[in-house]
Amino acid sequence: MLKLSVGSINSLSNSLNKAIPLILAGLGIAIMNSVKLWNIGAEGQIFLGAIAVNLIYININISNSSLFIFILLISGFIGGAICILLPAITKVFFGVNEIITTLLTNYVIIGLTVYLVNGPWKDPKSLNFPAAAYVGKEVYLPTIFGKLSSGFLICILFAIGAHYLKEKSVFGYEMRIAGGSAMTAIYAGINAKQKAFYAMLVGGGFAGLAGAIELLSQTHRVSPGISQGFGYTAIIVAAITGMRPIGIFLVGCLFGALTIGGAVIQTIGVSSYIAEIIQASTLIGALISQFFFTYQIKEVEDA
Amino acid sequence: MPDIQLMGLLNATLQAATLLFIAALGELITEKSGILNLGVEGMISIGAVTGFMTAINTENLFLSIIVGVLSASLFSSIHAFVTVILKQDQTVSGLILTILGLALSSLLGKKYVGKKLMVKVESIRDIAEPSNIFEVLLSQNLIFYLAILLMITTSFVLKKTMFGRRLEAVGEDSRASDSMGLKINKTQFIATCVGGAFAGLSGVYLTLSYVPFWTDNMTSGRGWICLALVIFGGWKPYRTALGALLFGFLEALVPRLQTYGFELSPYLVKIAPYLITIIVLVILTIYKEGKTGAPGNIGRPFFRENR
Repeated sequence: MLKLSVGSINSLSNSLNKAIPLILAGLGIAIMNSVKLWNIGAEGQIFLGAIAVNLIYININISNSSLFIFILLISGFIGGAICILLPAITKVFFGVNEIITTLLTNYVIIGLTVYLVNGPWKDPKSLNFPAAAYVGKEVYLPTIFGKLSSGFLICILFAIGAHYLKEKSVFGYEMRIAGGSAMTAIYAGINAKQKAFYAMLVGGGFAGLAGAIELLSQTHRVSPGISQGFGYTAIIVAAITGMRPIGIFLVGCLFGALTIGGAVIQTIGVSSYIAEIIQASTLIGALISQFFFTYQIKEVEDA
Repeated sequence: MPDIQLMGLLNATLQAATLLFIAALGELITEKSGILNLGVEGMISIGAVTGFMTAINTENLFLSIIVGVLSASLFSSIHAFVTVILKQDQTVSGLILTILGLALSSLLGKKYVGKKLMVKVESIRDIAEPSNIFEVLLSQNLIFYLAILLMITTSFVLKKTMFGRRLEAVGEDSRASDSMGLKINKTQFIATCVGGAFAGLSGVYLTLSYVPFWTDNMTSGRGWICLALVIFGGWKPYRTALGALLFGFLEALVPRLQTYGFELSPYLVKIAPYLITIIVLVILTIYKEGKTGAPGNIGRPFFRENR
């Protein structure tokens, strides 16, 4: 499985391509977690990001292709942010449990996708397979080496950016306080609700960007197959690393390889669900080892 | 509207509600002890697939129900171990249960996709087109009546028995309960496994009665609606049942809208229950303004050394 997922330039770039949505969505989850909120809706945000890209692509035409790609990526980010708007508003103003609202939005958005590709956006050429028309070659994301999409560079940038945002910036510090203790936030004059709201929108945007990159570099069209559970796997990725952006980047790459490995071993008769099971089990292992880190037996010199 | 159509709607409502209610009741018991288990979806899937596999292989319904319930309960003990014994994050652990449960059930059920079930949990009386409420009730199956029994028992146990009061005390204030000599870990562990067992029963109802076949991800988000139901019901069994009836009604109504003359895309119609769930949840939270009835210690691990 190792050889099949990272053994050649081709398979290595495939693995890293799969890592892109995991990393970006995972970073979004981590940013939201700095205000102690959970984003279970990354799956839906990925879909809405892709839908937003297609919507803009259909309605606007810009001849400069790199500018066009840039605008499409931004619209993906905004799409993801819009997706989390309802959970964010209801959480911040009314205290509605964001775990359930973000999760239920997934089903709404995926339902919307299925509706679009079967109805208004259905490509007559795709025959019985429900999908929208392909986007033109001019907006494909260029590749770096092998099949590796330049989305991976965006990924690296965002991972570093998220690291600074979370660990080094004033905003990140305020988010941590807002999430850590409501009272401290009030004393320090930090508007906790505002921080939570922004953190949610940015978190959703990251996942939406993942959807945009997936559309522009992999599937090239909107279909129900844009995300294969990336949003859920991203939760595992983020949780294993304890919500640390650089860790998310590394574990995301590993899990991308696992997913590709899972898809490849399917061809030799082993179920691809094994990959998911390995991923989930890894997290259980991480939780258990967390316990032993916390309760380490330390030798203490007698004072 | 003809009576038969109305009764058909009622019938479908009761069936959808039963499925949601049993798992929600289990989650209610778990949450009463202060443990939040987000893995309902995974536990239902495990119960559904193991029950279905047993039914295909043995054609013994009683055994299938037992296997479904026990395996889901065993599966939920992973959550109990990680959160109660190791005191790790309940949100993460619950999510693992969902992801692992869905993947594991897909893996187990792979060979069973599309297989036809020879046995099915039969209705009390087989009535093709019930024409009055009494006949609708008679055309429900044993698990429906079991659900009613569970509702009454759970409410009684929580309110009137020593075990129920202790369970609630643990969930409300673990520290005080600990100083009173209650066994926190034991109570929470049991409550989590009971919640798993209920979810398993719900899963068995899904594959052996509601839609008698197996496909991947067939729970399609119902586990999450169950979590919303517990909030909806304010952690009270009867009110949760009321919520289940409401959501069951929505699930039953939506595909029928077209026959009543509403022009709607079937794809959009499928979104409606989820959208309505969100809206109901929002209205409910605003209406109650914080007084939701949630157990005081929910989601927070109990560290004895911090006492």
